[in-house]
Amino acid sequence: MTRLKGAFATLAAVVGFAAVLVAHTLIGSSVPASLRSAAGNRPGGSPSNSSKTPTTTVPGPAGVTGNHIVTGKVTGYGYGEVAVRLQVDNGRIVSVKVAKLLTADSYSQQIAQQVIPMLAREVMAAQSARISAISGATYTSEGYAYSVQSALDALKKG
Amino acid sequence: MASVTFERANDTSRRRGQPRQATAKRLSRPPRPGVVDLAVVLFGLGLGASVALALTAETAAGMKAPGGVAMFIGNLTGLAGTYLALVMILLVSRIPVVERTLGQDGLLAWHRRLAPWPISLIVAHAVFLTIGYAQAAHTGVMHELSTFISSFPGMAIAIAGFGILVVVAVLSIYSVRRRLRRETWWAIHLGMYLAFALAFAHEVVLGPSFVNHPLTQAVWSAAWAATAGVVLVYRFGLPIYRSLHHRLRVVELRPEGEGVTSVILEGRHLDRLPISGGQFFEWRFLKRGLWWQAHPYTVSARPRPPYLRLTVKAVGDHSAALARLEPGTRVAVEGPYGAFTAHARRHQRAALLAGGIGITAARSLLEDLPKRSQPVVVWRVASEAEAALAEEVRQLVSHLGGKLHLLAGSREEFPLEKVVGLVPDLATRDLYVSGPEGFVSGVVGLLRHSGVAEEAIHSEVYAL
Ligand SMILES: Cc1cc2nc3c(=O)[nH]c(=O)nc-3n(C[C@H](O)[C@H](O)[C@H](O)COP(=O)(O)OP(=O)(O)OC[C@H]3O[C@@H](n4cnc5c(N)ncnc54)[C@H](O)[C@@H]3O)c2cc1C
Repeated sequence: MTRLKGAFATLAAVVGFAAVLVAHTLIGSSVPASLRSAAGNRPGGSPSNSSKTPTTTVPGPAGVTGNHIVTGKVTGYGYGEVAVRLQVDNGRIVSVKVAKLLTADSYSQQIAQQVIPMLAREVMAAQSARISAISGATYTSEGYAYSVQSALDALKKG
Repeated sequence: MASVTFERANDTSRRRGQPRQATAKRLSRPPRPGVVDLAVVLFGLGLGASVALALTAETAAGMKAPGGVAMFIGNLTGLAGTYLALVMILLVSRIPVVERTLGQDGLLAWHRRLAPWPISLIVAHAVFLTIGYAQAAHTGVMHELSTFISSFPGMAIAIAGFGILVVVAVLSIYSVRRRLRRETWWAIHLGMYLAFALAFAHEVVLGPSFVNHPLTQAVWSAAWAATAGVVLVYRFGLPIYRSLHHRLRVVELRPEGEGVTSVILEGRHLDRLPISGGQFFEWRFLKRGLWWQAHPYTVSARPRPPYLRLTVKAVGDHSAALARLEPGTRVAVEGPYGAFTAHARRHQRAALLAGGIGITAARSLLEDLPKRSQPVVVWRVASEAEAALAEEVRQLVSHLGGKLHLLAGSREEFPLEKVVGLVPDLATRDLYVSGPEGFVSGVVGLLRHSGVAEEAIHSEVYAL
């Protein structure tokens, strides 16, 4: 009797576990999937990303001629909002700056200020939004990467 | 008032000219084993989901970064620990259908068995997250703690809640707990409700599985809101409603034997009270010095509207004080609770094994047994003088065509083997065992040993 119940509970636990993981991959967070793969969190993210980010084949600004300054979308990331401003010179990202940073609380502000310079260096090194999230600041990293990607998209659309 | 009788209403030995009190017929609703199966499945689903929830917030890169592993463990233990705490609260929330299926003793046993898990998981949660954040921010643990309190939303109150949890956990360690008065410990341990209420905000505002995930946030909040609702309704609302509705008052105290007293109460609408023989209430006598503690006592007879009776043996402060109650004292009740009822029967015939005051449950249960149950009652009691209610038991047993063995004497004279040995054809009867802890566990052990099926053994231990 009791052993049977234990087996039921274990089985149910496995089902519950799987259900949440499946639901998570299907629904995801309110941060778009394109961003999550951009932030390097979920390698091989779903192919539907490509529709939102047509630049996946050529992630960086290569091929863009001239000197441009573009501002990415203001991106909410749970603990705050961030937007970046990119300067692109003949197909190379030459600077990444913060155009807007608003946080829900002072700690998140501290975190953001700590990690944003690191994220900027990663973007410069990768020459794209494909950067890895910084631990303890996953959402900040995601939001940041998303804004970078949206700036690049805007640039390519011209 | 001395005319209240709980003897069988149609018995010829009833004194003539006495008003007849009809027995209330409304039984408690039957247990629903299916509900327990459902609860077991829901429990598993929730546990799996909570663990998976921690994984959804994790990334390979995050794990590699400084503090990543500690943070992951911290999030996982936090989610699993809080989930198990929710289950513990539900186990004692007195949901009626669960209560009458598993019995309060069964539910409390699970509540206790589970207790070390959420506590140690939540302690691990606090430790690992502090270490993880300190590693990520490249600061010390102490510095990180002050950052938590000063900068994180919801963290100051969550840490207060954690403090309460630690205090209660320490007081619950057996060697500490047995130094405390039972009522003192019990009152303090209710602080856990406050602890989890305080911790709630930081979970959904800061938890990486919840931030940015409105759906999980909503589901988690709904689960806790529902739990709080269940507790409010069944632990507070229903008892208050019942107490006000029935307006019980003490009308008579009747000495039944050495140290044993029946407390007879009068109340309204007792014919509408769903109760089975063998069930008990948590009684709160609203009198100076007594109102703040509720103790469990079995109804020693089915209600005879407008009367209700409990029979109490003086073993300590509360039970001794009941013999000194004044008529008119108002009484609040929680219940009826318990699965020690005629609903639990699996066989046609039954045997009731009672130790000492454990006869109260057997006595009221006898009223619910059908004639074909031919109950064999074996009752061990220290002396004839303590054999309260013996006359009523004798009458009920003879009415049902059963047999009563009253064993008045010491444990040496009547060892448990002898008690069990008096029941003929054990395998074809339901066995109802009630009384002090030693008696019940001893008898149940012997029954199991003789091969009696688990489903046929029903017990009520007179200690929680
Ligand atoms: C389901 C159930 C039904 C019971 N029915 C009856 C009955 O019909 N007649 C009767 O005389 N007694 C009954 N009891 C036992 C009765 O509840 C205790 O004897 C009483 O609460 C003792 O309180 P006290 O202050 O007098 O003694 P204390 O000195 O506080 O305790 C004496 C012993 O009683 C137990 N006890 C104390 N407080 C409680 C409590 N709040 N809940 C549970 N156990 C406690 C303890 O294990 C302790 O060992 C029943 C107990 C339970 C659990």
